[in-house]
Amino acid sequence: MHELGLALEVCRMAEERLGSDALASVRAIGIEVGDDAGIEVGNFQFCLETLLDEPPFRGARPLILRRPGPVLRLAYLEVDDGRPDD
Amino acid sequence: MAVRTIDVRERIMARNDELAEQVRDRLNASHVPALNLVSSPGAGKTLLLERTLADLGHELVLSVITGDVQTQNDADRLARHTDRLVQAVITAGACHLDARQILTALDAIDLGATDLLFIENVGNLVCPASWDLGENAKVVLFSVTEGEDKPVKYPKMFQQARTVVLTKLDLLPHVPFRVERAVEYCRQVNPALEFLSTSALLPGGLEEWYAFLWAQVRSKQPPRTVR
Repeated sequence: MHELGLALEVCRMAEERLGSDALASVRAIGIEVGDDAGIEVGNFQFCLETLLDEPPFRGARPLILRRPGPVLRLAYLEVDDGRPDD
Repeated sequence: MAVRTIDVRERIMARNDELAEQVRDRLNASHVPALNLVSSPGAGKTLLLERTLADLGHELVLSVITGDVQTQNDADRLARHTDRLVQAVITAGACHLDARQILTALDAIDLGATDLLFIENVGNLVCPASWDLGENAKVVLFSVTEGEDKPVKYPKMFQQARTVVLTKLDLLPHVPFRVERAVEYCRQVNPALEFLSTSALLPGGLEEWYAFLWAQVRSKQPPRTVR
């Protein structure tokens, strides 16, 4: 349940950063999780996958990046900007 | 399609911590110390508060916010011992209180007329350790019916706490709990912890706790009420 609360907060932060209309274009979310962050990584990943499969998201991938220490940080968002590749 | 990467590098707890600072500012402005009571389920948080409200309520103005996953049973129990509103927060599945809930609950509390605020967190030694509620200190209740090694099993909670309240000491003759061993485990994870020994059932069993509470109040301001 703790992990679900954190996963919801990740979604809120993505919305704050991009706006709700752009969430469907998120392809991946990178999250740094420290070894001492008090997070059960498998459960956190599952919660994120569940939320990111549902609208307004469209199947963005959560990428957990393990780190030493207590860090717990939204590292980056990968967004499809809708334009053809250069 | 072109995929671009947006660098964020923002702490996931940042918003909660911002709100916790707002809680802290409001409490400090009114000189109200706040204690966040945490423990595993059944360690005796509610009984300790019932006794505290009954015994100190005529000398100190005590306010309480309780958190439970479901029901407001704890708030109802506490309300029998005080004329003050006991704020019940039902987390509806969440395993901890967060700063947003405390900030909202404060709106219904007259901080200007409060000497001490208790936050009775959800019974859980894991998640509440990670959530700053704007309190002055986390106080861990550790009952003698638990394993002595709880501190090393749940180190973050004991690292975050300032005080350990050993509860149910009246049961010591009946359980294999060794206090010195439990204290040793606590100090392994946090050498700075202070310890209070309590029994909510024995006469005089809460004297150390009450002395601690008075010290919290006096550290913030001269008492408001007649002493």
